Amino acid sequence: MRYLYSLLLGLSLAACSQAPDSANASKTAAAVPARITVTDDLGRTVTIPSRPKRVMALAASMTEMLFAVADSNTIIARTQACDYPAAALRKPKVNSYPVDFETIVGMHPDVVFTIEGMTSAADAARLQQLGVPVYYQRYRRVEDIFRGLRDLGRILGREAQAEYLTDSLTRELASLPTTAGPKPRTLAITWIDPIYAYGRNTLFTDKIRLAGGQNALQDSFPQPYPALTREYILKLNPDVLIGGRFGKLDSTFFRMYPELRRIKAYQTRQVYPVDGDLMARPSPRVIQSVRELHRLLHPNT
Amino acid sequence: MSRRAPLLFGFTLVAALGLLLIGMRLGSIESADYATLWQALQRYDADNPAHLVLIELRLPRLLLALLAGGGLALSGYLMQAMVNNPLADPYLLGTASGASLGALVVSVLLPAASTITPWILPIGSLAGAAGATLLVIGIGSRRGRLIPAQLLLAGVAVASMLNALGGLIIFQAQTDSQLRAAVSWAFGSLERAGWALLTGPAIVVVIGLSLAWVLRRHLNILMLGEERAAALGLDVGRTRWTLLLAASGITAGVVALCGPLGFVGLIVPHITRGLLGVTGRLNVAFCALLGGTFLLACDLLARWLYPPAGLPVGLITALFGVPFFVYLLRKKGA
Repeated sequence: MRYLYSLLLGLSLAACSQAPDSANASKTAAAVPARITVTDDLGRTVTIPSRPKRVMALAASMTEMLFAVADSNTIIARTQACDYPAAALRKPKVNSYPVDFETIVGMHPDVVFTIEGMTSAADAARLQQLGVPVYYQRYRRVEDIFRGLRDLGRILGREAQAEYLTDSLTRELASLPTTAGPKPRTLAITWIDPIYAYGRNTLFTDKIRLAGGQNALQDSFPQPYPALTREYILKLNPDVLIGGRFGKLDSTFFRMYPELRRIKAYQTRQVYPVDGDLMARPSPRVIQSVRELHRLLHPNT
Repeated sequence: MSRRAPLLFGFTLVAALGLLLIGMRLGSIESADYATLWQALQRYDADNPAHLVLIELRLPRLLLALLAGGGLALSGYLMQAMVNNPLADPYLLGTASGASLGALVVSVLLPAASTITPWILPIGSLAGAAGATLLVIGIGSRRGRLIPAQLLLAGVAVASMLNALGGLIIFQAQTDSQLRAAVSWAFGSLERAGWALLTGPAIVVVIGLSLAWVLRRHLNILMLGEERAAALGLDVGRTRWTLLLAASGITAGVVALCGPLGFVGLIVPHITRGLLGVTGRLNVAFCALLGGTFLLACDLLARWLYPPAGLPVGLITALFGVPFFVYLLRKKGA
């Protein structure tokens, strides 16, 4: 039990400590003009080659980001979780959890990209010590993903590519039919025993807003995916429940918690499955995810 | 001592009832207050959400806390008497590690199993608990005779092995959700409570309690040590088997539903003996009552500190129970 706990603690620790050698690194950057110093989304300063030729990601969503912006020849590896786009599968596989330091260092990446929460501060510091710069991104809103794509474009010298992509994603987002009337209060669960749901401070809140709904979870909890009691869900009484097909949840979730059959989502059968990867990964496919949610909430538009 | 026992018993009973009353008011839905509770008790209206919450969610949870705490404390008391060792607890036989492994197997390795039955987590942990218990008994007994020292060691060894297997499975976990579910289970939770699920633990606890009441003299004689107990005419072997089966049955029943709640089963028996003496007549009943009250208090505290779902109650039992226990220890020593 103790073991489990320390493991989870390690996983959930947000990466926010500065790399110990970052101050020295910026001095060398001044001496060697081929290197630039940038500040990542966590406020860490990272020194990297001004035109990185060997890049990789430590998160499946970040691999999708890289394939959307970078020259795919410069992407040198993928993690065990990366399966999109199909081209990613042809890259050599590197374990991101636990981090396979030896293989990563052996591949000599110019920079490794990751997102907050997926790579621990300790792992990032270790990689930096071994000479591998780690660049973090953090997304609170869908707009942050666009900004992340443009940042990647600047770092990788692919500004035009990133600009073109974000422009077309923005246009796609704007082309979603606008919806009138009340915004369905939507609860998205990630696990049924215990019940975990997408919290207020996850990207889901912004995605469901763009899809013409609202996150049923209005309270903010310290955890991104808070555990909920049945009583709390009864109180929320969500209009829509996301987490599985109606029939499937009827025989699992609602059989386990028959009291919850009273919620509006069950009564009106507004219980839907979504694509797990689209839902969980903050990637360029986020617009597909918004569109999927939009279709569920407003089937007639 | 004997005059103090009924007084303490009465006091704890009042505390338990008080906590039940407070617990009925603790939750997310404000309209479920005492007036509504009074209405619901007189004429239950299933269409009224406040009634539903009070009767179908809050009450079973509070009763489960009483039953689980009482069961674990009782199981710990019986285990300590059986091996005549103050370090024994309900998980002496690797029950907790077996149950954890069972829970990990179903949540990480067989995530699809939840489509067969939503109760896959309790079923998996019950199977793990029973498997580990039987394995340890097998190692710790020879020709039908239990050997306490061997049993203790076998329990520790098997638990370590099962924990290692659990660690191996954790490393295979594909998603955060799987890990979070397994970890939250490992600290114990009462959220699963419902009337239909209360019968299992209720039956094992009632049987265990009656058995312990019938055997209370045997228990006291056994604590004098194996040789003296045998000299006093006690069938030590048979008594040990009875205690072992009763204790592991209770533990498995509770753990399958609530997870391996720590601390209660180790400490409450000690507090009982400290307050009522080693051979008090009311010891067994008081131990169960105190264990239930303690867990109930911990659950309320967990939910009050960290709404809505509360901290895992197993964390609270240790965080608040250990300092209290240390205080008792020091006071006794002074």
